[in-house]
Amino acid sequence: MLALLKQKSYRDRTLQTLFVGGLAVMLVIFVMTARTNLEAQGMTSGFDFLERATGWGVSFSLIDFSTSDSYLKVIWVGLLNSLFLGVISMSFATIIGIAIGIMRVSGNKMAELIGTIYVEVFRNLPLLLQAFFWYAILTTLPKPRDAYDIGGIAFLSGRGVYLPGLNVSGLSVFLSAIGLVIAFAVWLNLTTSRRFAKMMPKEKTARARSIWLAWGFAACVVMAMGRIPDTPLLNLPYLKGLNFREGIRVSPELLTCIVAISIYGGAYIGEIVRAGFNAVSNGQKEAGFALGLTPWQIFTRIRLPLAIRAVMPMLINQYVWLFKATTIGIAVGFVDFFMVISTSINQSGQTLELIAILMGGFLCINYTMAFALNRVNDAIKLKGTQARG
Amino acid sequence: MTNSQSAVRISDMDKYYGTFHALKGINLDIAKGEKIVICGPSGSGKSTLIRCINRLEEHQVGSINVLGTELDDNLDNIDEIRRETGMVFQHFNLFPHMTVLENCILAPMLVRKQERHLAERDAMELLTKVKIPEQAEKYPGQLSGGQQQRVAIARALCMKPAIMLFDEPTSALDPEMISEVLDVMVGLAHEGMTMICVTHEMGFARQVADRVIFMDGGEVIEQAPPDQFFDNPQHERTQAFLGQILGH
Amino acid sequence: MAQTYSGPGVFKRIRDDYFSTRLNTVVTLGFAAFVIWVVWSLFGWGIQQAIWSPADKDHCGHGSGGACWAVIAARWRLIFFGLFPFEEQWRSGIACAAIVLTGGLSCVPWFWSARRLSALWIIGFAVFYCLMRGGFFGLTLVSEQNWGGLSLTIFIFASVTLIGMPLAIVFALLRQSRLPWIARTMGVVIDTIRSLPLLSILFTFAIVIPFVLPGWMIGDKLYRVIVGYALFFACYQAEIIRGGIQSLPAGQDEAAMALGMSYWNRISYIILPQAFRNALPATINQLVITFKETSLVVIIGFFEILASGNAAYGNAEWNFAHVEVYCFVGLIYFTFVFALSRYGAYLERRMAVVER
Repeated sequence: MLALLKQKSYRDRTLQTLFVGGLAVMLVIFVMTARTNLEAQGMTSGFDFLERATGWGVSFSLIDFSTSDSYLKVIWVGLLNSLFLGVISMSFATIIGIAIGIMRVSGNKMAELIGTIYVEVFRNLPLLLQAFFWYAILTTLPKPRDAYDIGGIAFLSGRGVYLPGLNVSGLSVFLSAIGLVIAFAVWLNLTTSRRFAKMMPKEKTARARSIWLAWGFAACVVMAMGRIPDTPLLNLPYLKGLNFREGIRVSPELLTCIVAISIYGGAYIGEIVRAGFNAVSNGQKEAGFALGLTPWQIFTRIRLPLAIRAVMPMLINQYVWLFKATTIGIAVGFVDFFMVISTSINQSGQTLELIAILMGGFLCINYTMAFALNRVNDAIKLKGTQARG
Repeated sequence: MTNSQSAVRISDMDKYYGTFHALKGINLDIAKGEKIVICGPSGSGKSTLIRCINRLEEHQVGSINVLGTELDDNLDNIDEIRRETGMVFQHFNLFPHMTVLENCILAPMLVRKQERHLAERDAMELLTKVKIPEQAEKYPGQLSGGQQQRVAIARALCMKPAIMLFDEPTSALDPEMISEVLDVMVGLAHEGMTMICVTHEMGFARQVADRVIFMDGGEVIEQAPPDQFFDNPQHERTQAFLGQILGH
Repeated sequence: MAQTYSGPGVFKRIRDDYFSTRLNTVVTLGFAAFVIWVVWSLFGWGIQQAIWSPADKDHCGHGSGGACWAVIAARWRLIFFGLFPFEEQWRSGIACAAIVLTGGLSCVPWFWSARRLSALWIIGFAVFYCLMRGGFFGLTLVSEQNWGGLSLTIFIFASVTLIGMPLAIVFALLRQSRLPWIARTMGVVIDTIRSLPLLSILFTFAIVIPFVLPGWMIGDKLYRVIVGYALFFACYQAEIIRGGIQSLPAGQDEAAMALGMSYWNRISYIILPQAFRNALPATINQLVITFKETSLVVIIGFFEILASGNAAYGNAEWNFAHVEVYCFVGLIYFTFVFALSRYGAYLERRMAVVER
C-alpha cells in the first residue's frame, strides 16, 4: 500500500477521488439530514408550493400583482424589481463614475480635489450605512402638502418623489427598451465586426445613423400604439387633498436604493475610470499632439477609447458586484429578489427550496451579465497580442 | 543496475506536448565526468531534452536512467534524481525574496537536512569559488545579471550534485558579462564535474566539451567531438546551422 | 557659472494648476464656489449652530438649524458597546483597543512573517475574547448574545479574517492544483460562492445550516454567520492569492523543483511568501471591503455598530437625530477604513519603488 502511494499516477488518482468523493459525501449527508429534519417537522419538500397563492402583497411591482397570485409570480416580481433597480442604479453609477473619473484626471487641481474627496468619502463608508442614511433623510422630507416643488412638474416629499410620466402602457415602454438593446447590439456589431471592416467610414456612419433613426421611429410608433386613450400625453403629478395624484411615484425605498447604490458605485467606477486614463501612456497623447490634434480630439479619439478598453474587465467585475449590492433593498424594505425570497421563507417555510431558487437566480443573472459584457469586451478590445496601451 | 560508468542513459525516449511530437527517439549515453554541449536552432527541443533529465518535463515513451536510478512514476526516484542533479537556468530564477546566502542554504537545509552553520560554511566556500563572497548578504535584485547567474551556479552546487545541467546559461546576459559566467563553468569542467550544457557559446564548446550534440526538429542529428564537429560537420543541417552562427 | 533651476514659482504653479485656460478658470471658480458653499453650510450646521450638551436637548430639532450632537454625548456608550453590561464596558473598550493595537503592530515590517503574524493575531484575538467573555479572575461572564456595538463589529471582522485567511490559502492551492479534478471542482465552488451576494450567504448560514447539519454541529447563530462570512471571504481572497501565485514566473517553482525541494517546502518557502507580497495591495483592499460589509449582519439581526446606531436614535427622545448618529457611526467606520486603505496605498507605492 505504501509502495503504491509512492507511484505518482496512483497517488494523483487517489487524491482526486478522495477530494471529489469527500465533497460528494458531505453533500449527501446534508441532503439526508435535511430530509430527516423536515420529516420530523412534518413538512413536505418539493416545489409544489410555487403554485400556491401567497396571501400577502408587495409594495412595489412592475407587473400586476395581487395577494391571490402564486409564489412563482411573486418571485418573478422580485426578480424584475431587482433587475429594474440594478439597471437604473448601474446607469447612474456609470454616469457619476465617468464624471468623477474625468474630474480626477482633468489637470484642474480644484476638480481633482473634489473628485478625490467624493471617492474617499463614499468609498470608505459601508453601503448599508449610506442606505440607512439616505432612507432616514428621504422619509423625513416634508409631508406632500409642504413638498419641495421642482419647476411645478416634480415634487419631493416624505412619501416619495413624484415625477411626470407618459400616458402609455407599460408594455410599449418595455418593447422600446428591448428595441434599444437590440439597436445597441447591431450598432456594436457594425462598428467592431470584421465583416464591416472594409466599409467606407462615411457609409458606416450613415448606417449607424439609420440604425438609431429606425429605433427612434419604432419606439415612437410603439409608444403611440400603447397610448392610453382620452388622456394627455404627458402625465403631470398634482396635489389633491393630502396626497399627490397622477405622475409617477418613486417610493422612498426605491429611491434610497437607487441613490445609495449609484453614489457608492459611482465612487468605485470613478476610480476604475481614473485607472483607465492613467493606463494610457503619455506617448499616445504626445503622438496625438505631434500629429497636430486638438486637446479635445486627443481626449475623445485617443485617450477615452483606449481608457475604456483598458478598464473593461475591471468594469465588468464592478457591474456584477453592483448588481449583487441590490440586495441591500431588504434593509429599507424595497421588494427586491432577496426580500421576496426571505418573506416567502417566513410565510411558507419552504427554506431549502427557496434558498436554492435564490442561488440559482443570482448565478443565472451574474453569468448572463458577465457573458454579455465579456462579448462587448471581446468586440472592442485591441486586436492582436502585440498591442500595448 | 546498468553500466556504472554512465551518468545519464536515455534510450528511445519520446516526448509529446499534447499531439506535438517534441522529442523523437532520443538515445544518449553520457559517461561520468563527461562534458556535453547541446546546440541547435530554437525550438529544436534541446531545452526540453535536458529538462526531461530532472523531470521538469515528463517524457512519455522510452526510459531515462540517471546514476543508476530509473526516472519513472516513483516519486522517491524523482526526488533522488533531483537531489543528484543541479540545474542552472537561462533566467537565473534566483528567489528574489531571499538574500544570496539564503538562496544557497535553503535547499541543503530543507532537502539534505544540513545544519545551518554547516550549510552557510559550504555556501560561502562556493560563493568564493564563483568570486562573489562579498555579495552574500545582498538580494538578487541588487546584483548584475552575470553576478546573479554565478549565484545560481553556486546555489546549484550547494546541493553537491553529481551532474550539472545548464539551460542556456548565458543567453539572457549582456555580452560583457558572458565571460565571467563561462569562466566559472570552465573551472567547474576542469574539476571533473559531469556537465550537460545547452548553449550557443561555441568557444566554450571547443574548449571544454568532450562531445557536441546537434539537435533539430526534436531529433539528435549529429554528435561528435568538438574538433570534428566544427571542422568537419557531416550532416547538411549541421553545416547550415554552423554557417549561420559562425559565419556572421 | 552654474545656475540651478529651482522649478516654477508659486504663482506660475497656481496659474498652471488652476487658471491655465479660460475654461479652466471657469471650472476652478465654479467648483471653488461650490466647495465654499458646502463647507460653509456644514460649518454652520455642524459647529456654529450645533447643540453639544444633553442639557440643552430641548432646543434640538426645533428650528435651531444646527446639529444635535447632544445625542452622541448621551448615547455614545450604547453605540460603542451595545448591550454589554454597563459597569463592565471598560472591558469591551480595552478589548477593542487590544485588537486595534494588534492591527497597528501587524503594519510593522518586523512582524511580516507567517509565524510572527499568526502568533500576534492569535494572542491579540485571545486577549480580546477573554476580556469580552470573562468568566474568570472575578470577571463576570458576558455571553456573546450581549456583545454589541463596535466590539461586535471588530469581533466579527477579526474572526472572519483569522478563519478566512488560512482557508483562502488552502482554496488557492487546491484551485492551482496540478490535478485537474481537484482544480476544476474547487474552481466551481469558488466561482459559485463568489457570484452570490454576501447577504444570501449569511442568510443561508443563519437559517439553512440548522436544517442540513446534525444537531451537535449547528452551533451558535453568531458563529455560523462568522463561518459563512469566512467562507465568502476565503473565496475572494483565494482568487487574490491565486493572482499572486500566477504573477510569479514559472521559473521560481522550477528552480525549487530542480533543487529537489518537496511540494510543501516549495509552497511555504518559495511560492506563498512571494505570492503574498504581490497580492498585498489587493489583500488590503479585500480587508477594507470585508470590514465595511460586516455591517450586513444587521439584516440577520445582530447588534453591531450600525444597529446600535439605529437604536441610539430609535426612541421617542432622540428620534429626530438620525443624521447626527449616522454621521458619528460613519466617522467611526471611516477612521478604520480610511486608515487601512491609506496604508494599502502606501504599501503599493513602497513596493513600486522596491521593484525599480
